[in-house]
Amino acid sequence: MAALPPDSFHPDKTSDRAMTRRTFLRSTAALSGLTALAASLSPLRELGDFTSTEEFLQKYYKELNPDEMAKVLKRIERDVERQYGIRPHVRDLKPMDGVEFVYCLNLTRCIGCRKCVHACVAENNLSRSPEIQYIRVLKLPHGSLDVEKADHNYTTKQVPEKGFFYMPVQCQQCKNPPCVKVCPVNATWQESDGITVIDYDWCIGCRYCEAACPYWARRFNFAKPEVPKERVNPNMSYLGNRPRKQGVMEKCHFCIQRTRAGRYPACLEVCPVGARKFGNILDPESEVSYILREKRVFIQLKEEMGTSPRFFYYFEK
Amino acid sequence: MDSDIQPPTRAGRIQTNWILAAVSATFLVMAGLFVANLWGRTAATPKVPLVDVQFLDPAPWRQTYTDLAKAKEDLSDFDCYGCHEKKKPPVIEYDEKHNIVLPKEHSNLKLGHGSHNRNNVCYNCHNEQNLVTFQARDGRELKFQDSTALCGSCHGPTYRDWEAGVHGRTSGYWDRSRGELQRLNCANCHDPHSPRIPTRAPAPPPRGLHEPATGPTPTAH
Repeated sequence: MAALPPDSFHPDKTSDRAMTRRTFLRSTAALSGLTALAASLSPLRELGDFTSTEEFLQKYYKELNPDEMAKVLKRIERDVERQYGIRPHVRDLKPMDGVEFVYCLNLTRCIGCRKCVHACVAENNLSRSPEIQYIRVLKLPHGSLDVEKADHNYTTKQVPEKGFFYMPVQCQQCKNPPCVKVCPVNATWQESDGITVIDYDWCIGCRYCEAACPYWARRFNFAKPEVPKERVNPNMSYLGNRPRKQGVMEKCHFCIQRTRAGRYPACLEVCPVGARKFGNILDPESEVSYILREKRVFIQLKEEMGTSPRFFYYFEK
Repeated sequence: MDSDIQPPTRAGRIQTNWILAAVSATFLVMAGLFVANLWGRTAATPKVPLVDVQFLDPAPWRQTYTDLAKAKEDLSDFDCYGCHEKKKPPVIEYDEKHNIVLPKEHSNLKLGHGSHNRNNVCYNCHNEQNLVTFQARDGRELKFQDSTALCGSCHGPTYRDWEAGVHGRTSGYWDRSRGELQRLNCANCHDPHSPRIPTRAPAPPPRGLHEPATGPTPTAH
């Protein structure tokens, strides 16, 4: 709406062409309305980056037949390639028969170096900025297991410190998981090998599960996750470490892309003192069976909650 | 009522047009700013520096004789008879506190195996009759490659755990039908002369969503 040109002014016969109060208010209201509409729509421009129609119309994970799954995996590979410039290998690994995973962590050995935290970040394509980490290493004074006294922000020059021990906490893969019960859309569930997984395409981001978890194991993508291109891990799985988007939950999944292919999790392999042990509890020859049989396995963290974790902490004799 | 409405004067009309032009321009500028999204966007989160790759490295921090031999590296450090004479066991010297006085050729060693100097005898492990071998407590003569068996001759329970894959670092496959379990040797982690694992610098602590990149602040969660 521009001003009237000056030559249209004729003082003697302008009463019908002059700007009346009504026209002025009407045009002003129309302009401000249009501006407000444009402003309210502007966030939509960012949406185009990560939600495709295919993804929006995708069926529930458990209802996908193998052909549809193959298409979904292709779509994810395409999306990742567009976003990060590398061709990933995305699989949908299923749980194996006769396998139930258990994790054991030796508190006598752990030195609190946090290498597991960062190996996990690298393996699972976790957001670097803002920072998301699945593992927290708690520093606790000797003689107590009161997690209220724990510090996970310690910045000492050298670890371990005298008089303290370190307890890394991550998803405990509970046998009775409270997070699964509260999910209103069944976007998270427990698989037959004991891993509680999340379908990132089904999650609505309500964060009920985060509130339900007594271990603070679940993380929410408040902002668009940022993974540097040069550090993207191309070995991905649908329920595991494929890139997440803003507004969904994520958590430790025992490195599903490695463990369901028979390998050890990344946090275990990087541990410089061998404090972390992982394996199939149904196999009596496995390391975890040996530990539960031979060692002083003293704790399932917060076992009074009745969650029955598959994550065991133990001490040396 | 009608008589109250005066036809606008020329000056009044020009004023109205100016105001309208100014309002239009303001709205256009505001629309431009909205499209450019100069406000309404959440404040940029502080850039978190990438972690040093040394914290991602799963390699053991020590190399054993076996590793060096495999990599065809210089093994002259293990050639005892390059300096020592054969069939002439070196004499160990002690100070008044029963600490070994190291000759300068061995000054790179840090001694600290066992507390209270109880293990201050080189020949508890080294074989004085043949320096390029070890002697286990049960009298076996062991090659440098077989150092784990030497350690096991004293540290039985730990050796048993190690054989089960429970003591020490493992990598590879938990599912033995798909691949191998890789274990490390004792000396990949422990310095045999001073086995306690040294302290080290920890990786950086976690940062909250809006914490500054310079240092952590304690979070309540």
